[in-house]
Amino acid sequence: MALVVAINVAVSLRLLTTNSTATYTGLDKLYTLHWLGVGFIFLSGIALLLAYPAKALTNPVFYVKVAALVIGLIIAFKIQIRLQKTNSTINHSSTKSLAALALILWIVTIFKGRFLAYTNSVLLASRFY
Amino acid sequence: MIDFLSSFSQFTGIYVFMNSMWGWPIIESLHFVGLCLLLGTVGVFDLRMLGIATQIPYEDLHRLVLLGVAGYLINVVTGIMFLTTSPDQYGHNPAFQTKMLFMLLAGINLLVFYGFFNQHVSNAGIAPLPTRIKLVAGISLIA
Repeated sequence: MALVVAINVAVSLRLLTTNSTATYTGLDKLYTLHWLGVGFIFLSGIALLLAYPAKALTNPVFYVKVAALVIGLIIAFKIQIRLQKTNSTINHSSTKSLAALALILWIVTIFKGRFLAYTNSVLLASRFY
Repeated sequence: MIDFLSSFSQFTGIYVFMNSMWGWPIIESLHFVGLCLLLGTVGVFDLRMLGIATQIPYEDLHRLVLLGVAGYLINVVTGIMFLTTSPDQYGHNPAFQTKMLFMLLAGINLLVFYGFFNQHVSNAGIAPLPTRIKLVAGISLIA
């Protein structure tokens, strides 16, 4: 998770702290590591979900986290596509807006991820049998 | 030492806040945000110095390191809140002691970087860096 957020933080901060004449050559190359981290998130997330499915699926915080995560990944993909274009074709203001939104979504994902451990009301589905 | 940390926590109100309903998870989340800020700036700069994404000029990422300092400060403040609230949980814990040791190593490494190699990296553009600088970047990333 830290790897994925870190790459997004690096790209978003770079986009947000530069003016419209800045170049972003090579920034898209960082996404190789990003998608590698996403693979780890996916595998570890599935393992946690399989270990305690009732704990996650009965907690609304889980759905907010997953929604923020998925939207964050879609935005990351959109930014990556834009960065792969030649620099002159990047729409700076809309890309900056996407970068700011991505930062907010990653912070939401982190908070919801931590709060998941403290807000569950059900641990095992066997409680309902 | 543990008594002092506990007294500090009680005196400053940290203990009450951390034992409130959402105190601990809020501070845990902020600690993770600080860590991500640190990794996203200093960590990515280290990776670049090690030879990843070679088209990015070092200076573009070096500029973000100041924001990494903000992340580090968030981690220090939130870390102190954890430590002073539960000094027993951390003080005798080898994992915590190792973490402190690595933070010290990272600090020394930072001084070495800014003392000897900063200027070289600033002027390097996108050219490959010598092994000694890559070693500093590697130590920073591991620490």
